[in-house]
Amino acid sequence: MRRGVPTWLLLLPAVAYLLLVFGVPLGNTFWMSISEPTLGLQNFASILTDPLYARVYLRTVLVAATVTLLCLGLGYPLAHYMARRSGVVAALLLGACGLCFWISYLVRTYAWTVILGNRGPVTALARWLGVEPPPVLLFTTTASLIAMTHILLPYMVLTLYVVLARIDANLIRAAHGMGASHWQSFSRVVLPLSLPAVVSGCLLVFIFCVGFYVTPTLLGSPRDMMISSLIANEIETLLDFGSASALAMVLLAAVLVLLTVYDRLVGIDRILR
Amino acid sequence: MRRPEAPSLANALFAWCVVGFILAPLAIIVPMSFSASTSFEFPPVHYWLGHYRTYFSSEGWLLPTLNSFVIGIASSVLTLLVAPPAAFAVNRREFAGRRALQVMLLTPMLVPSIIMAISYYSVFGQLGLNQTYAGIILAHGCVSIPVVLIALSASLRNLDRNLERAAAICGATSAQALRLVTLPLLRPAFILAGFFAFIHSFDEATISLFISGREVSTLPKRMFASIHLEADPVVAVVSALMIYAAILAMAIATFLRQRRPA
Amino acid sequence: MTHLHLRQVSKRFGAVQAVIDATLEVQAGEFVSLLGPSGSGKTTTLMMIAGFEEPSTGSIELAGRQVHHVPPNRRDIGMVFQNYALFPHLSIAANIAFPLKVRGRSRAETEAAVQGALALVGLQEMAARRPAQLSGGQQQRVALARALVYQPKLLLLDEPLSALDKNLREQMQIELRRIHRQVGITTLYVTHDQSEAMTLSDRIVVFNRGRIEQVGAPLEVYARPASRFAASFIGDSNILDGVVGTAANQLRLPDGTLLHAARPLLPNPGGGASLLVRPEDMHLGPPPSGADALTLQVLSVLNMGPHLLLIGQHGGRELRIRAPVSATALASEGSTVTAWWLPEKAWPIPPP
Repeated sequence: MRRGVPTWLLLLPAVAYLLLVFGVPLGNTFWMSISEPTLGLQNFASILTDPLYARVYLRTVLVAATVTLLCLGLGYPLAHYMARRSGVVAALLLGACGLCFWISYLVRTYAWTVILGNRGPVTALARWLGVEPPPVLLFTTTASLIAMTHILLPYMVLTLYVVLARIDANLIRAAHGMGASHWQSFSRVVLPLSLPAVVSGCLLVFIFCVGFYVTPTLLGSPRDMMISSLIANEIETLLDFGSASALAMVLLAAVLVLLTVYDRLVGIDRILR
Repeated sequence: MRRPEAPSLANALFAWCVVGFILAPLAIIVPMSFSASTSFEFPPVHYWLGHYRTYFSSEGWLLPTLNSFVIGIASSVLTLLVAPPAAFAVNRREFAGRRALQVMLLTPMLVPSIIMAISYYSVFGQLGLNQTYAGIILAHGCVSIPVVLIALSASLRNLDRNLERAAAICGATSAQALRLVTLPLLRPAFILAGFFAFIHSFDEATISLFISGREVSTLPKRMFASIHLEADPVVAVVSALMIYAAILAMAIATFLRQRRPA
Repeated sequence: MTHLHLRQVSKRFGAVQAVIDATLEVQAGEFVSLLGPSGSGKTTTLMMIAGFEEPSTGSIELAGRQVHHVPPNRRDIGMVFQNYALFPHLSIAANIAFPLKVRGRSRAETEAAVQGALALVGLQEMAARRPAQLSGGQQQRVALARALVYQPKLLLLDEPLSALDKNLREQMQIELRRIHRQVGITTLYVTHDQSEAMTLSDRIVVFNRGRIEQVGAPLEVYARPASRFAASFIGDSNILDGVVGTAANQLRLPDGTLLHAARPLLPNPGGGASLLVRPEDMHLGPPPSGADALTLQVLSVLNMGPHLLLIGQHGGRELRIRAPVSATALASEGSTVTAWWLPEKAWPIPPP
């Protein structure tokens, strides 16, 4: 029997807050993209036809795809290993991944500036091995790839782990019992069952990566800008609100498309479960 | 128990290497913070506590730290006022458009920060909210709504409906049931949710970079500037302090989770 | 005096009719069981009486007051839930005091009532503990104390013993019976366990597919079931199907055997009719005059301890006979025996 506070009243504060503090600013940005400096689509026309911008989009997608693949390549074996170990080892590994959620990505980005810097351990190692001159890593796309992979890896690992850990060990025993080799039981049983998590983890990492700002700005090459840095640049140095807003709308549209795919394949509301 | 599909040695080695990759940067920060050098050098040549002293005596660092605390606490309190009723509705009621609403409440977390950063920058500019506490608190509260929603949802779902029924049949009004049964049982979840919201605000850099000025500079903004421009070794101290805090926070969170009644 | 009165209560969940036209009168002080398999509507009926579900149609009257629109907290009903639903964050004493606290009773009055309720269920020394520190049976008693402490008009028990093991369950049945006698409160007890319903209740209400099929004293429901469902759900049963013979109480089996019932059969329009004979009413050996008999091929003989259970077959139908252990000499697997019973033990039930 329904009684007490009506549902709409429960929803009102959060919905009103989001409309005012989330919807209005976004709407304003959309408005700026078609009205700065004059009403029309010229901002979109210029950012969608300029080959300079096109290179930034392409680079952003390539970087995001690379990071996603790196996260999957590193994360899957780790999640698989965690899921197959019980007790203390799994708890320890899980704790290590969980700890990263509690530590600011800024702190982790900073750590990479030290590790990859020209007085850091990597350079020292290269020198010791006789590589002269040692490779320059800081302020390159490689550096931001490494750091972004490091920052997003825990998302991938935990997404995969939740599903892999739930796969019934008896299924795998049964596969072995029927004569499957380790590789067969993995490729025929474990991999298909974990595929939804792979899709989910990859989309999540990709979505986060496409909009990454702080890490590429601090670690990457200023010449190899990603779309977020380009947006910031339009505002900070060029004071071109129209272009920046139009770029933001293009990025938003791309993320919304990805989110729709995510919603269709996984269901955004599943995050709540 | 040894499972029949125990992982191969190669799998184990690779997994531990990945964990090493995950933890190495954190392991580097702490010795860095005790370094005697004035630049980002690792391994440090000498160890001392000088950078800690610098941090704890520099207004240029302490003020942003204080700002981050104020903003983090205020925005998590704000979110805890706004989001829990919606979390109740979304998890405990059936209504038309429930799914769409859930998705809507989660989007602030999924939209890239840079988009929100420039959006706030221009709107708050017109409203005079740039470089004010209110502006940053409002902006952080927005992204914290999905964080609180996620943190509360699991507990709300797991809460035994019969307990509220029992309260009602015992004669409690819905307000009494909420005050005497539901809220006390959800207290650990609320603490955890507030904690997450706080951390989220405390760590947020992109939006702060755009809308916080000299007066209300947050700690991440100060760190960003240091890493970007000056190579100030005090960043290592701040980072190390944040790692200590994170380890402590995780320990507390684990403790709270274990205490949560099933 | 009618204390609780359900008048043509129905509940529909979307396309599903959970309860159909339930009408029931419960007298003050009675112990009534709602018995049926899961999904039969018994729990939904209880939820409507408690106020957690609203009837789609019909009315519920408690102590002379229409309550079906009254919220649960103002119905003055006590309830014990299947999982006890004790408040995990409160001590045992605070759990029991909860109903009095929300009613704004004085501290002294509350203290005395809690002591009384703890004494009633024999848990005085547990007052300061938390629910998680108690065994299942003890939690059960606390839940009962909490439901009784404010002297409600009605006590509802929703399968309260289903989570306990067998020994504890029997002990709690005795305990429930004692407390009911001591307190004298009108009690509704939902269960799917027929033996529990038989032991505890003054009357049993048999639910099937959302309908009340029969209301009656345990022995009456057992001996004179009103439906095939009631006959087969409660106790072991032998159901014999045939057609009406020359007399109204005469049943002709497909192989031509004639049997007699205690009263006229309940034939369908095609003349089909059925009889129920309980396994303990069937006997082995030469039938006395006036008895009905069948020859059975013995399929198996199971030693149940105090008695034998003989499973035999007649005309493709399996029959069960509960025989004294001494009957081992009469029947062995594969042999043919004669089973007989007195016609007054053969109860007509509706044909399939």
